[in-house]
Amino acid sequence: MATYSHGVSAPIGRRPAARSRRPFLQREGVLGWLLLSPVLLVMLVLVVWPFSTAIWMSFTDKSIGREANWVGLANFSQVLSSPRFGRAIQNSLVFTVVAIFLKFVLGMAMALVLNKAFFGRNFLRAYLLVPWVLPGFVAYMIWRWFLDPLQGVLNYALTDIGLITLPLEFLSSPASAMPSVILAHVWRSFPFFGVAFLAGLQNIPAEQYEAAAVDGANGWQKFLFITIPGLRHVILVVLMLATIWTFNAFEPVYLLTGGGPADSTLVYTVLAYEMGIVNMRLGEASAVPVMILPLLGMFIVALSGLMNRDE
Amino acid sequence: MSSFAPAVAPRPRPLRLQQRLAFAPAALVVAALTLFVSLPLYSMVATAFKTDKEIYDDFSYIPRQPTLIQFERVIVGDRFFVNIQNSVIVATTTTVVSVTMSVLAAFAVVRLRFYGRVWIARLILFKYLLPTTLIYIPLFLVVNGLGLANTLQSLIFTYLSFSIPFATWLLMGYFRGIPAELEEQAMIDGCSRIGAMLRVLLPIAAPGVVAAAIFTFTGAWNEFLLALVFINRPALQTVPVKLSSMIVGDQYVWGSIMAGAILASLPVVVLYFLAQRFVVSGLAAGAVKG
Repeated sequence: MATYSHGVSAPIGRRPAARSRRPFLQREGVLGWLLLSPVLLVMLVLVVWPFSTAIWMSFTDKSIGREANWVGLANFSQVLSSPRFGRAIQNSLVFTVVAIFLKFVLGMAMALVLNKAFFGRNFLRAYLLVPWVLPGFVAYMIWRWFLDPLQGVLNYALTDIGLITLPLEFLSSPASAMPSVILAHVWRSFPFFGVAFLAGLQNIPAEQYEAAAVDGANGWQKFLFITIPGLRHVILVVLMLATIWTFNAFEPVYLLTGGGPADSTLVYTVLAYEMGIVNMRLGEASAVPVMILPLLGMFIVALSGLMNRDE
Repeated sequence: MSSFAPAVAPRPRPLRLQQRLAFAPAALVVAALTLFVSLPLYSMVATAFKTDKEIYDDFSYIPRQPTLIQFERVIVGDRFFVNIQNSVIVATTTTVVSVTMSVLAAFAVVRLRFYGRVWIARLILFKYLLPTTLIYIPLFLVVNGLGLANTLQSLIFTYLSFSIPFATWLLMGYFRGIPAELEEQAMIDGCSRIGAMLRVLLPIAAPGVVAAAIFTFTGAWNEFLLALVFINRPALQTVPVKLSSMIVGDQYVWGSIMAGAILASLPVVVLYFLAQRFVVSGLAAGAVKG
């Protein structure tokens, strides 16, 4: 078999048999690296180069159109001592934690109800996915208009129901801006939690619920002792994925408030954009990801271990 | 043949007892979620079909005289088709290039045994998880260094940095689910290694390739940050940046923005619903399961 199989089913770590007898281009190592070379080249130019540049630049005073001078740790101390950076990290954390909590609750509710059979379920499953299918920028433009204090539908509706008498300045008052941005972001991304959990639910054998019913378990107990353990892996992966995405989100804040009013929604991604692109201080702006990366990197390594589990 | 593709989840078996007990709260949840999802969407659609007078002076929930004037304004006045064309060029090229490269790379990592493949697989997953917000400033310098500033090529080129890791990761999941014996059979019958991949593996993995293509196209179509940073000539802007740049102060542009938003959403929404089956199984194979 080995002579014909070209090692297709060889276990990991085993050297391909009869290596030297094969034509050069059909050796697995040569062919493998040959097929990988376009991707490796792209990764080198688009990942390794930029990262080394970023790390180098964070120690310089590089700005657009100017030569870079070595400034040591000045950028880091500058960024760390800036009150706006502290504010931005705090906002990023609040945004991430609250949004993920809400996405989890709504996504779980969506998955649980869609897991039941009822008339119109297939349509609803597709329809509830629409906010997530829409381009992100479209979702946030919709919300910016929907929440408009003067002509937004929400203010008209709340007034007509009689809940408010004066229009609410959702995005332009410091107290309500962050909750509004979070709400828009949750609207856009909870369906991802919903479909992921739904897929997980459908892998839990119905027999487990039947057995629990025979033993007299109520709905809440079934949820706690069958559903949650059955979804453990999906929940963990989805939460970690979403934490990375949410913490690094740029569009919701940039498109809804631009970080204002009075920095009440300023997240770290928007601050880095301001420093690097708007104020053209690339050195200082590069210090931000260089500080974030080690923490995020550990998170990503942990997550990739989880996602590789069934390899 | 389709039995080798990652299985689409089976229909759930209804749980009669629980279903009856939980019917009322479930109906309430369905209603609340539907309302939450619908209101902003409705606001977009209604606004896009109103006249400026109905949008700004004389509010009504339902457009009294539905009109296409906002679509006409965004297409003729804002030359929106130029931006749509830019987006189509960028998204299509990105998709073709990254899916081709990713098929080869995923095949190599999953099917060939050679030193370093495990590390490559890890590197690809790591890059897939790494957000673009962390690398766009140095990417900007790379683009400038290569003389690509203010070109569509700069977008196509840099979009590969996120589309290739994702597509490769997704395809690796698909290829793993297909037994290697079929290719071995083809090679016994005289196929070359690459021939077996093209004639045996790819046809079976077609749903995965379609899913990878859809996700890549959508990702490129929706991408905002790089397009915002790399392009500042209006004629070269892609759809997301063009639309967001139309918000200027308090000018009466929301009608055309909402019309533009509908036009910008149509391609990806239609793609998803045509290929929903592939997308859901692709999501299961790529994003969640591993």
